Amino acid sequence: MDRRLEKILLSVQKPARYTGGEYGAVVKSREQVDTRYAFCFPDTYEIGMSNLGMRILYGVINGMDGVWCERVFAPWGDMEEAMRREGLPLYGLESGDPIAGFDIIGFSLGYEMAYSNVLNMLDLAGIPLRSADRPELTPLVVAGGTCCYDPEPLAPFIDLFVLGEGEEVTPEYICLYRQARDEGWTKEEFLRAAAKIEGIYVPAFYEPVYKEDGTLAEMRVREGSGAPETVRKRIVEDFDHSYFPVKTIIPSTEIVHDRVMLELFRGCIRGCRFCQAGYTYRPVRNRDPKLLAEYGKAACEDSGYQEMTLSSLSSTDYPCLLELCDDLLDYCAPRDIGLSLPSLRADTFSMNLMERLQRVRKGGLTFAPEAGTQRLRDAINKNLREEDLLQSCRTAFSGGWNGVKLYFMLGLPTETDDDVRGIADLARKVYFAWKECTPNKARGVRITVSTSWFVPKAHTAFQWEAQITREEYQRRVDLLRDELKRDKSITYNWHDPETSWLEAVFSRGDRRLADVLEHAWRHGAKMDAWSEYFDLRRWTDALEACGLDGDFYAHRERPRDEVFPWCRVDTMVTPAFLWRERERCYESQTTPDCRTKCSGCGANRLLKGGVCDG
Amino acid sequence: MADRLLFAKEGRARYISHLDLMRTFQRAFARAKIPIKHTEGFHPHPFVSIALPLSVGYGSRCEILEFGLLEGTGREEVPARLNAALPEGITVRECYPAARPIKELAFVDYEAVFDYPDGLTPKAEEALRAILSRESVLVRKKSKKAKTGWTEVDIIPRIKSWQFSRRPGALVLEGVLAAQEPGLNPELIRAALCAECPDLAPDFASFCRREILDGEGKVFR
Ligand code: SF4
Repeated sequence: MDRRLEKILLSVQKPARYTGGEYGAVVKSREQVDTRYAFCFPDTYEIGMSNLGMRILYGVINGMDGVWCERVFAPWGDMEEAMRREGLPLYGLESGDPIAGFDIIGFSLGYEMAYSNVLNMLDLAGIPLRSADRPELTPLVVAGGTCCYDPEPLAPFIDLFVLGEGEEVTPEYICLYRQARDEGWTKEEFLRAAAKIEGIYVPAFYEPVYKEDGTLAEMRVREGSGAPETVRKRIVEDFDHSYFPVKTIIPSTEIVHDRVMLELFRGCIRGCRFCQAGYTYRPVRNRDPKLLAEYGKAACEDSGYQEMTLSSLSSTDYPCLLELCDDLLDYCAPRDIGLSLPSLRADTFSMNLMERLQRVRKGGLTFAPEAGTQRLRDAINKNLREEDLLQSCRTAFSGGWNGVKLYFMLGLPTETDDDVRGIADLARKVYFAWKECTPNKARGVRITVSTSWFVPKAHTAFQWEAQITREEYQRRVDLLRDELKRDKSITYNWHDPETSWLEAVFSRGDRRLADVLEHAWRHGAKMDAWSEYFDLRRWTDALEACGLDGDFYAHRERPRDEVFPWCRVDTMVTPAFLWRERERCYESQTTPDCRTKCSGCGANRLLKGGVCDG
Repeated sequence: MADRLLFAKEGRARYISHLDLMRTFQRAFARAKIPIKHTEGFHPHPFVSIALPLSVGYGSRCEILEFGLLEGTGREEVPARLNAALPEGITVRECYPAARPIKELAFVDYEAVFDYPDGLTPKAEEALRAILSRESVLVRKKSKKAKTGWTEVDIIPRIKSWQFSRRPGALVLEGVLAAQEPGLNPELIRAALCAECPDLAPDFASFCRREILDGEGKVFR
């Protein structure tokens, strides 16, 4: 180990997250690889290691001959300070080698609040921030993940973005990179060829042209670049034959999701109108239940984990869920392995399933009705009926559960004060359901209501919407707090509004925000997802310094014909469909789920047969 | 009767904290498919206990982990099977039935390496020899119990023997120190040096537990 590192490690919190060497970490010999890939997760080790996508791509890339993928996380402040003091550049956890010497630096972008860490990590690595300041092919800086559906705020820093699922396209661009490097192509030559790969968005080939009012006139395709008019996202069509990380890294220190994560399917059949993942991961693709049971068991055996979670956007929608649970429970129960479902839909939450899960361990119960009244739930197409929710709660309370968490959003389109008060009503009904059904009143009940400030996202039915103002959000919070103040068994938490505002700015931002980001970073922004570090002033100052108005992005309703910064990104869900969904919202009309009836969103065109199987 | 593992910890594994190390072993037993006894109670979990936990960053050639092997696995297979399931840097050397109680573990043989890249090794050796030859040396030490958060300990009665050697750019102290009730962390020897001669504070100090001994100075297992 590097002596400088050894010295630093004794002075920082939780040093094990900076050492690598865990069970399952892939160590290759430097002499036997020709391509080094730094997989950078712009948050802490504990968060990054809990990310299934990272584990999948780590396995996929390391499965390539001659390529070595290493992990890199954002160091916490004490570690960063020590690294800068000792002149220790950012390194890959597997080899300890500085990543500035790697071939490809790949960032995984899951949330906007991590953007400042991207710049900070590039800087810690000693790599110039802007693509234009990196004239050579190497190191190539790429990014993937859900934030790339609006890649523009990061456009000047990233050489290419990967849109959609990375399992197949990642090896494709790595192979192209190797060819380019070995044949001595220029960076421009490489990027032109890369732009021809489906799913690759090269920001340098698209130039924003603004109108006087700050909106876009167009995203102009650079002449002669050969870049496509739109870049279609990638999906893994055959989910049974796609890589699943059975054998994966088992951290030697605690992480957030320290358990086996079993991905049942990709996509979601539901079509909640606010949900970016719901639209962008379409169409749904299921994995075979037998295969899943095999994966789950093998993953437990190889990891030694005592907990498994079924992770998908809405796991209870998996068509063979009961069959799978039975299979898994036969394995888990005798071994004391806990099985949990993180996302439950109240309407399909059968007694049956609950009894099955209860055989092993009782987790807390979490539901996300998102809105307090049926009217508003219909408007956002959250197909959850109050009676189903209450029935599920009754079942749970009769079975001995005594805690429920309920998640809501404030500021959804068409929300009125009645809808806000409806949240309190619903929480109270849940309380009465407990009183009615619990076998043990003496133990009491914990009902938690949490609200967040709705952030409209690109590629959703609400991409044209304004986020409500902060004052209005606060007013609705106060209203709800007032409603709930007499209910001793109901705890109300509301999300910190400052980060939600910044998220609203960046999630539909354009390329001008890159300067804001860099300015904020130069003035100390990093780890913005952490309240210890987040400082809104830094961002409002940066916006001001760049002559931009954050509210223009967050609180402005867009006309139908607005040219969006993400207009060159094609999720294959058509804007016409999204607009129709928005209109149906204003009519409080629901749209059936994909299994009940296809609504013609367009995503079926991503499949060879052109038909979604639901 | 409990079983014991004797294991070594080096390299990157030195930074795994005590709690994390226990969890790592619990999972390694599961990965190696070696069934072990569980604790009783509401949340039963595999029982493991590590005697005299080391500070984060210290290496070791001999730490003891107690557990209970269930039927079906021979002790002789345990080291190889566990080693295949452990992270880099942790090596199980032996698995054997516990014969003597841990409280008979009286001394620990440490090697402390003090780095002096600027050629201060001879001076540091001289100063340390002087310190260790005194009747009593009080060192300030953090304490959770004391109101002020600090307490003073006399390190001399807890040092059984010591000797010095030199390496290029480093001074090596080999010391046999009290293991428990109360034990002495070799870090306090460095602290004593730094308190008395701040100019001779080593650039870096690393510690390794080389052997564990009973009251008579014989190897403890
Ligand atoms: S094409 Fe139809 S079935 Fe397929 S994802 Fe779109 S709405 Fe659902």
